[in-house]
Amino acid sequence: MGRNRPSAVEPRRVAAATVALLLCAALAACRGGDTETDASGVKTDVGVTAEPCPEAVDQNKGCIYLGIISDLTEGPFRALAVPITDAQKAFWKRVNTAGGIGDYEVDVTRWIRDNKYNPQTHNQVYQEMKPNVLALAQTLGSPTTAAILADMKASSVVAAPAAWTSAYAFEDVIVESGANYCLESMNALDYAREAHGVKSVLAVHLAGDYGDDAAAGAKLGAQSLGMTFSAVKTDTGADKQAGAIQAILSGRPDLVILTMGPADAAAIVGQAAARGFTGRFIGTSPTWNPALLQSAAAPALLARYEQTAPWDAWGADTPGHQALRQALGQVTPNDGYTAGWVWSYPMKAALTKAVADGDLTRAGLLAAVKSLTSVDYEGMLPAGAGNYAAGPSDGAVRVTAVYRPDRAAPTGVTQVRPLTVGPTAQAYALDRPCYEKL
Amino acid sequence: MSYVVGAGRCTRLRGRPDLHTSYAQELSLFDTPAKRAAMAVLLVAALLMPFLLTDEVLQLLALGCVAAIGAIGLGLVTGYAGQVSLGHAFFLAVGAYTAAAISGDPDGRVIGFGVTNILVWLPAAGLVAGLAGVLVAPLATRLRGLYLAIVTLGLVFIGQHVFSEWSALTGGAGVGRPAATLEFFGQPIAATGPLGTRDQKLYWLMLLLLLGFALAAANLARSKVGRAFTAIRDRDIAAGVIGVNLARYKTIAFAVSSAYAGCAGALLYTITGFFDPGSFSLLLSVQYIAMVLIGGAGTISGAIAGAFFITLLPRFTRELQAWVPFLSAQPNEVPNVFQVETILYGVLLVVFLIFEPRGLFGIWVRVRNYWKTWPFSY
Amino acid sequence: MTELAESLLRGLGTGSVYALLALGFVIIYKATRVISFAQPAFMLAGAVLVTYLAGPVGFWAAVPVAAVLTAGLALGVERVAVRPMVGRPAFVVAIITLGVDVAVRVVVNGFIGLDVRHVGDPWGLRTVTIPGTGIDLQQRHLAALLATAVLIVGLFAFFRYTRMGLAMRAAAYDQEAALAQGVSVGGVFALSWGLAGGLAAVAGTFAAAGASVDAALWLIALTALPVIILGGLDSLPGAVVGGLAVGTIQELTASYQQHAPWLGGNVSVISPYVLMLLVLLVRPYGLFGTREVERV
Repeated sequence: MGRNRPSAVEPRRVAAATVALLLCAALAACRGGDTETDASGVKTDVGVTAEPCPEAVDQNKGCIYLGIISDLTEGPFRALAVPITDAQKAFWKRVNTAGGIGDYEVDVTRWIRDNKYNPQTHNQVYQEMKPNVLALAQTLGSPTTAAILADMKASSVVAAPAAWTSAYAFEDVIVESGANYCLESMNALDYAREAHGVKSVLAVHLAGDYGDDAAAGAKLGAQSLGMTFSAVKTDTGADKQAGAIQAILSGRPDLVILTMGPADAAAIVGQAAARGFTGRFIGTSPTWNPALLQSAAAPALLARYEQTAPWDAWGADTPGHQALRQALGQVTPNDGYTAGWVWSYPMKAALTKAVADGDLTRAGLLAAVKSLTSVDYEGMLPAGAGNYAAGPSDGAVRVTAVYRPDRAAPTGVTQVRPLTVGPTAQAYALDRPCYEKL
Repeated sequence: MSYVVGAGRCTRLRGRPDLHTSYAQELSLFDTPAKRAAMAVLLVAALLMPFLLTDEVLQLLALGCVAAIGAIGLGLVTGYAGQVSLGHAFFLAVGAYTAAAISGDPDGRVIGFGVTNILVWLPAAGLVAGLAGVLVAPLATRLRGLYLAIVTLGLVFIGQHVFSEWSALTGGAGVGRPAATLEFFGQPIAATGPLGTRDQKLYWLMLLLLLGFALAAANLARSKVGRAFTAIRDRDIAAGVIGVNLARYKTIAFAVSSAYAGCAGALLYTITGFFDPGSFSLLLSVQYIAMVLIGGAGTISGAIAGAFFITLLPRFTRELQAWVPFLSAQPNEVPNVFQVETILYGVLLVVFLIFEPRGLFGIWVRVRNYWKTWPFSY
Repeated sequence: MTELAESLLRGLGTGSVYALLALGFVIIYKATRVISFAQPAFMLAGAVLVTYLAGPVGFWAAVPVAAVLTAGLALGVERVAVRPMVGRPAFVVAIITLGVDVAVRVVVNGFIGLDVRHVGDPWGLRTVTIPGTGIDLQQRHLAALLATAVLIVGLFAFFRYTRMGLAMRAAAYDQEAALAQGVSVGGVFALSWGLAGGLAAVAGTFAAAGASVDAALWLIALTALPVIILGGLDSLPGAVVGGLAVGTIQELTASYQQHAPWLGGNVSVISPYVLMLLVLLVRPYGLFGTREVERV
């Protein structure tokens, strides 16, 4: 593709233009992928080749190319995005070693691109890989994914997201996993009411459907539990938390729900505690990083911070977790790995189903996703999770686990309560994205 | 007028393109036959691109066309009038939100008036952004140089805060809203159909718009207003002494530049169809300044070349991956291609400006002079 | 009353970090008439170096070593990317420093890795109570204020009493005249970049003290831009006063923004820019900036 880039057009080369005119008709005919049928009768179109993958385990198998668009260098979620991407590579390598998907293996290494967490860049790299990949193994970030969503729907490109926003329950082309931020916050409130008897809650959140979604969940939960609710928006950057800290200190809520990056959360918990705040904190999934236990905020975190998560942490004992640890080998434990691994299961299930249905085209894969009634998460999520056929509300996974900081545990947290559905989240009907209700 | 042009033509000597016999001739946009021929060839080649390139590259080129409109606008205020503005992102945002609001869905989540005709929202975007420019101009008439640059930078930060907070209009930070709808009296302009794919049509549309905006800017630059701009840039006190109304012309410069930015902003996000307030950051302003400086400040063609250079640069650095085999494509290893991609972006900017501070236009001038005087060029 | 006093003291603490950063900008500007947008990268680099060095050599040794190393990095950048541009338009050079900033930050981000890193400062989030008033003051803010005061006194002494300081003042006053008197203007350029790099490293350390170092830390350095305009681009006292003023305004806005919810969340982040605009409407060259003398 790069060779076709227009260079500065040399003047006076009228000949070139004439040749170009002649080439027009021939080249214009070459647009669009054609549907082909392979030896075993599976229909394919874009991103699936009969040639083996570049790093194939079995040279006799074809190759399914999946793209990864992640935040790999300078964006705010880099510290999570890199382990997510690594875990996904390990996941698909394991799938390939175990025999691949039908007569194909899956490649997620050829098309990895950096979105710098910028919607425009995200769209550009998506356009770049689109003629070469069947689907996306990862599209990280909400505003970034929104920039390609219309095109994905128009061309039936299925994607596994790297986010937990409730909006994805309403998109057919997105195969999300686990409870969204909204339900997770509801579960957090249910837990906090039982465990700590809280009566008032303050949501401190980043802007965007990540933070807004969690805050909206807390608001809806507080309404149905009869708690007083308030919310304050903040920004990324440890120096920009002064307003949030002030709001906590003047509001004195029993519980603060945090949705932000780890450094920001540490700044808030540490300084609020240092200035005399005595309530509890609960952070939603991406708020934690084990290194916070070395920070100045560590005593405050150990004393008053808890953490919710949509699935069990790195050290859990399910077959899926064991496979994850075995596949990644000697790495510093990080729950980014766990997330990347869990997010890959629905894509695997969809690909398997599409091959079984004999239609590995983009449309075939989308049809397979729509007909999935359950995904085998190897125990990482409860049975019945991954029901994309049931619709947004009935198909939603609603379980949340609660953790507390612990210096001895591999990712710095130990479980306080296993994956449970609270009564509030259980009763909630997901009729549109939560963040619209904040 | 026609008489003067006619008179000029009568006395034009073959092989002496620089010999002008009338002011009109000297001021004409394409004053030599070589320029006219080159322009025609360039235009034909550009119009034929959609038959030669893949859709994805076309989309990138369409983006380049729109960026060029914005860069021309910044070139007018920074390159011609010498007022360095780091606030371009703010005006792009004003235009983008004006257009998106006018053409947005009235029943949608965010403000929308449902007037989808491009003939309405594009001029409106330019107008509103231009007005914003007029409002900022009083500051510009008081401040100079780096002071002005950083104050306009403040505009970007304040604007970003307002846009993030005003979620009824913008959808809110991290959520965003759909961009303006590309329709012309109810007909979608860019939709895949028998005449071509969406990207082919997008490219043609943006190319034609760029052509229009570029000609208008070139015309402005050679007019009385344009001469006033350059006089202010070269020495504002001297310009004031010879009767250029500084406040008035600085205001005009900001208004026109902002209007260009507004139109560019309105068009920019129709390509991806979606944008969020986080897009209008300092980084965007810097990119536009880089376009103008890399292209060559004070020229229209330079701004266009710079816009394409900056738009295509990330793509180019990504292509480099294939040629540098020892780099790891694993994001967990250092150094990896993703880091190198970003580093190259920075380093290429630096290297380029060190070796040719006059930008792409400077390179062109050197090449041209070499061949003009050939074989006595040294 | 206690709250107001505590906000003011916190503001002075963060403000002293801004002051250090702004001093770097102003020193470079005075010597070379250029704003260096590479300062954020140097600040981040300095803070990251401290996180690596604090373990083996301890915090107190790590800070000066990191400052010297960052100064060395700045010297290198000046020699390679900025020196060839002497006499070129200030804005071309400014864009070059931006390119440097992007490149250096990506490399430094690589060293931050996936974790949140810590500078290992001895203060943490502990507070001291000012006797008799009940006003709490965070130790790290006190430390930042003291360190800034010491550095400022050192800098002013350097400019006032040393040969090189005199050379720098001469070069800032009139480059050609200084050159004619035998001042090595190139040396002045290098020294100004080195000083700015070292100051940025110290500022980065104090910005991260009690908190942590992650890739977003560089954004703090952008706040120094309104500071230098507020104080006047070529005024060292202006940088200090502007830094403290901006820090104070930010903390006060944060403390009292809840009374004006219509301004939106976290309005304290843009308060420096608003303050800058207000001051410039009255004084177009900042509080202490020199009015440019125009020759036609």
